[in-house]
Amino acid sequence: MTVYKYFIKIALRNKGIILGYTIMLLVFALIYGGTGSEKIVNFEETRLNIGVINHSNGELSNTLVEYLGKNNNIVGTKEDEDFIKNQIFLQAANAVIIIPEDFEEKVINKEQSIEIFRDDRKVETYQTQNQINKFISFANATYGKGDFDLSNVINALDNSVDVNFVKTSNGANQDINRWFKFYYNFVSYVILAIYIAVIGFVMNDFTHMEIENRRKVSSKKFLNYNQEIYLGQMSIAIFITSILILGSVIIRGSQLSEVHFSKYVLNTLVFSFSALCLVFLINNITNNKFFITGMSTILSLGTSFISGVMVPQEFLGERVLKIAKFFPTYYFVAINNKDIVSLLDVRYEIFMQLLFGLGFLLIGLYFSKVKQKS
Amino acid sequence: MVVKVNKLVKRYKDLIALDHFNMEVKEGEILGLLGPNGCGKTTAINCILSLLNFDKGEIQIFDQKMTPNSYEIKKQIGIVPQEVSVFDNLTVKENIDYFCGLYIEDKHLRKQYVDEAINFVGLKDYLKFYPSSLSGGLKRRLNIGCGIAHKPRLIFLDEPTVAVDAQSRNFILDGIKRLNKEGSTIIYTTHYLEEAEMICNRIIIMDKGKNLVSGTNEELKSMITTTEKIVAGFSDIDEEKVEQMRKLPHVIDLVKREEDYIIKFENGINNLSNLLEFIKDNQLTYTKLYSQLPTLNDVFLELTGKELRD
Repeated sequence: MTVYKYFIKIALRNKGIILGYTIMLLVFALIYGGTGSEKIVNFEETRLNIGVINHSNGELSNTLVEYLGKNNNIVGTKEDEDFIKNQIFLQAANAVIIIPEDFEEKVINKEQSIEIFRDDRKVETYQTQNQINKFISFANATYGKGDFDLSNVINALDNSVDVNFVKTSNGANQDINRWFKFYYNFVSYVILAIYIAVIGFVMNDFTHMEIENRRKVSSKKFLNYNQEIYLGQMSIAIFITSILILGSVIIRGSQLSEVHFSKYVLNTLVFSFSALCLVFLINNITNNKFFITGMSTILSLGTSFISGVMVPQEFLGERVLKIAKFFPTYYFVAINNKDIVSLLDVRYEIFMQLLFGLGFLLIGLYFSKVKQKS
Repeated sequence: MVVKVNKLVKRYKDLIALDHFNMEVKEGEILGLLGPNGCGKTTAINCILSLLNFDKGEIQIFDQKMTPNSYEIKKQIGIVPQEVSVFDNLTVKENIDYFCGLYIEDKHLRKQYVDEAINFVGLKDYLKFYPSSLSGGLKRRLNIGCGIAHKPRLIFLDEPTVAVDAQSRNFILDGIKRLNKEGSTIIYTTHYLEEAEMICNRIIIMDKGKNLVSGTNEELKSMITTTEKIVAGFSDIDEEKVEQMRKLPHVIDLVKREEDYIIKFENGINNLSNLLEFIKDNQLTYTKLYSQLPTLNDVFLELTGKELRD
């Protein structure tokens, strides 16, 4: 097992790469974990300060102001855009609404009826928009014979529901789950970068023509040699993946039962397999150290970016996602982002990753044959 | 016969690298494969070792046909390639252990062999050094250590003294002689004539993929007409005197190289005294005058019309 022994030895001499990426992952995970690590178990009502300028002064507009006043604080304002903007900037008001003179007419005609100035820095101000939209929708629904049935509107709007935040159907707490999604999505980047760089560099040493010639001249059988090399690659891959999984256990070990941890582990193992096959392919295409370094950066960062590791998939364009589907990282991220009941729910994505792995392996074997012949 | 190569042909598209090349190596020999750069020495070795496919011919090692899967034959072969071929990320000891491990499975035996190889190449003080921190000469020694640690019966050394200082060169050449004394048969390729003359029992001179001649140092030199060379330098000599010198007894050639005249003689035992007499009679002043026996370069020159170092 000399070849295996020295494969591992040379790989571990690249510990700077392994440590660098792992520490980066753990630091990011700790920073990310610092926010929202508590379980969400209840909601709190928020009252906003709303300024109202009512030019209509009709029954409908007054009822709207009355309705908004129930859930918010109505504050004084002035119909001056600069004044309003200052008021919002200084947080004297969270939002200011201007009701036009022909408000009723616009509501009936389903036209844009109210001008709203909001404090975009506060997510809660969307609530004002929602309350107004809801009111207008309800009012429209009661409109008939030239009148609004405003008592019905108020009744409907007064009905409230008690929301008890318990757990999602799969038993996973969303906030903890979000952390695990972040961590494991990032793991794909780290796995690709470390595998390509570390295993690539070691293979670069072993496949150096003169060293390879010495091996060919020796009495070491080709099959035994390859077995030891692949065993070395697998050992390093398992070692790196285990460290990364262990990282999540160390940081969030007490919350493993809150998430579908087996999903993350299975997904990471399958992704590791396909990443290892990709490394096999790259090593059969080239043994140029600069190319390997480039591939490590481009592939890991590039696929991570287009597959939704850095930016959530929801924010990525359709075209980008179409391209991302040609890389296993996309399916890895898709599994992490999926809320599942059983592992069967991710069988398609698992299958796709395995398929990619197999594809890389076959193409790698082809290049290996070509190289041997040449 | 340790190695027998019969009519080996190797082509690279239109280029014929080996043209019906023949070679025989007997047990216990140091065979020098001599020839200018690009004459096919390394190609011949790579074919013999099954690192390269060849188009025609036959290769036998230890009386068996050599193929890429001849692992039993390979067990008894060691190679020291032209380039220093070691792992930059392994220390001196680890490198020798790795390459020895490709042949020797048994840990204890390997440890013994590795220690012996380290002593043999004189790298005991550098065990934990990485190759990048070794000098050129020490790297070459490490290269040799990696090739001989498993105690092979047949060793191929491909220009092992290229770009090393004189001290390391002597160390390497002494080492090769010791390996030979310990029972290894050695095939040594070089384009340094002096080295071949110094250590080889038998020499094959190659050019353009062919073996031109083979024999011992003396046998090769006896094949050419030049028996003596006199190098002379003059402070005042004209063309007429040069032409008269050319007509002295036994002179077969006279060439000017830089400031010196090289006068080649065939036979004759008084060539130097004849020349001195000519200088005295013509009242010439010489700055340099010495006699040389023919070298392998002269052999190569007579056979091919060009210098071995060209």
